[in-house]
Amino acid sequence: MAKKLTKKDERLVLFGLIGSLFLIMLISLFIGSVLMSPAQLWHSEILWQIRLPRVILAALIGILLSISGVILQGVLRNPLADPYILGISAGGAVGAAISIAIGAQFVVFGMSSVPVSAFIFALIAVFIVYKLSQVAGRAAPETLILAGVALSAFASAILALIIIVSGNLQTIYFWLLGSLSSASWSNVITAVPYVLIGAGFAYFFSKELNALLLGEEMAITLGVDVEKTRLMLVGVSSLMTAAAVSVSGLIGFVGLIVPHFIRLIVGPNHKLLVPYSALSGALLMVIADAISRTVLSPIEVPIGVVMALVGAPFFLYLLRRRRTEGK
Amino acid sequence: MTVLNVDKLVAGYNVKKPILKEVSFSVDDGEFVGIVGPNGSGKTTLLRVLVGLLPYFSGEITLGPNQLNKLDRRELARRVAFVPQMMEPIEGFTVEELVLLGRTPYFERFSFENEDDNDAVSWAIDELKIDNLRNRSVTELSGGEFQRVAIARALAQEPRLMLLDEPTSHLDIRFQVTLCKLLKKLRSHRSIIATFHDLNLASRFCTKLVLLKNGEIIASGRPSEVVTPENIWKAYRIKVSVKKTSGNDKTKYVLLP
Repeated sequence: MAKKLTKKDERLVLFGLIGSLFLIMLISLFIGSVLMSPAQLWHSEILWQIRLPRVILAALIGILLSISGVILQGVLRNPLADPYILGISAGGAVGAAISIAIGAQFVVFGMSSVPVSAFIFALIAVFIVYKLSQVAGRAAPETLILAGVALSAFASAILALIIIVSGNLQTIYFWLLGSLSSASWSNVITAVPYVLIGAGFAYFFSKELNALLLGEEMAITLGVDVEKTRLMLVGVSSLMTAAAVSVSGLIGFVGLIVPHFIRLIVGPNHKLLVPYSALSGALLMVIADAISRTVLSPIEVPIGVVMALVGAPFFLYLLRRRRTEGK
Repeated sequence: MTVLNVDKLVAGYNVKKPILKEVSFSVDDGEFVGIVGPNGSGKTTLLRVLVGLLPYFSGEITLGPNQLNKLDRRELARRVAFVPQMMEPIEGFTVEELVLLGRTPYFERFSFENEDDNDAVSWAIDELKIDNLRNRSVTELSGGEFQRVAIARALAQEPRLMLLDEPTSHLDIRFQVTLCKLLKKLRSHRSIIATFHDLNLASRFCTKLVLLKNGEIIASGRPSEVVTPENIWKAYRIKVSVKKTSGNDKTKYVLLP
């Protein structure tokens, strides 16, 4: 049972989140495989060209993936929805890999073609999953997950094929396991517009997402154009996922874990759920990135591996809880 | 003043087998109309058409000066509100948050609830006498309490016309009466159409009854005109005798064994 926070508590949690995000980002700048004193670091390329863009990118990807999860859970009315679990990430990765493999890295409207191609394939993936899950009438939560699992496996295989054919086996780890090891300022610049657009959309559509909590028909009687809203929001969610995938590969479970925890704290009201999830997603990813860099130092554990180690058991726990609740 | 006029309405899920066949009736300002009739007579279908969830095949529905199918969703939602038979309580929502959802058709794209919205929510909560539940979680409420919250949500839409699908069917007898009294009071602000299974309750509280069978209106008018042994026999194929309590227009009926 979600406990109701007062307006004051809400603000407290918000400032707490912002504060800890900055603190953790700051600490995270000073840890890594190369040990240096703060003074040394300040004058070092490692801080400005490697760690800083990496920490910022981790936060941005956290925002992209967690809001993507909030939107999918709301629009599909499925508490288990997550861009990774539904195969949207894998679809996006195929698109990104194709774009890189054929060397089509031209610039579209001032943006790199990689996220655009990832977006197209992410959309195809979400469309297939959604249609598959609707075959038996109303989409059951578990059917959607199964469809996602199958699609994910298929897309991963295609991805592996593309990489093998293009002859670069090293990058398979990057894509399949999810990594921030090649983070750069240009990645940050690529991700920023998607974060702004996606977060803005999700926030201003939180009213529609709330109405959808009552079910499709009730949302219609409240004046919501359900079909249009759903299409638009799934599109935005896929776009955010695609942007994340094109700079960091497949990182799972962020969009699942974060909204669940935030719901426990602030309840399901999307007006709070969206911003709080964004901040917590950023926080989670910065922490996961710090762990990925340090836990087996000097070897780096890909961040996707860190997230899967935490996220997969959490997902199983949620499945079990749903079963025992008899839903 | 006429709030709703339905003329020769034909609607359903299959154009060859319409559920509603040339239904005509009208609702005036401040009326509390009860739709009664046996199972499958088209009561719920009628409500779904009136709230825009189901398109109609032919006939005309006018809401005040407008045709229903010419209004866009948002505009329709500001005029007609719907309380379904079973509404899922949203886990983690408070009563106030749930009632606020009724303001959705008034929200602008780039802003959130304003003073007007908060006033409407407070007013709806007052009208339904659920102020003491305001900050409670909706999943903790009893059936009767939640039904009132659901109605407050519809009222917060500030509709001209409120539609309720069997509002009393999950309530015990005391709550049934409390709720009907509340609805009767609410009609001074809005016209109400509700479907009922309980003829006794409907004839006691509604200002007008519409008796449906197989998608056609058998009788409509004041409860005393509609609830007659002949009409009941036509609709339900059971024999009843109707006893009128003396004095006012309150009708009660007794089933024959």
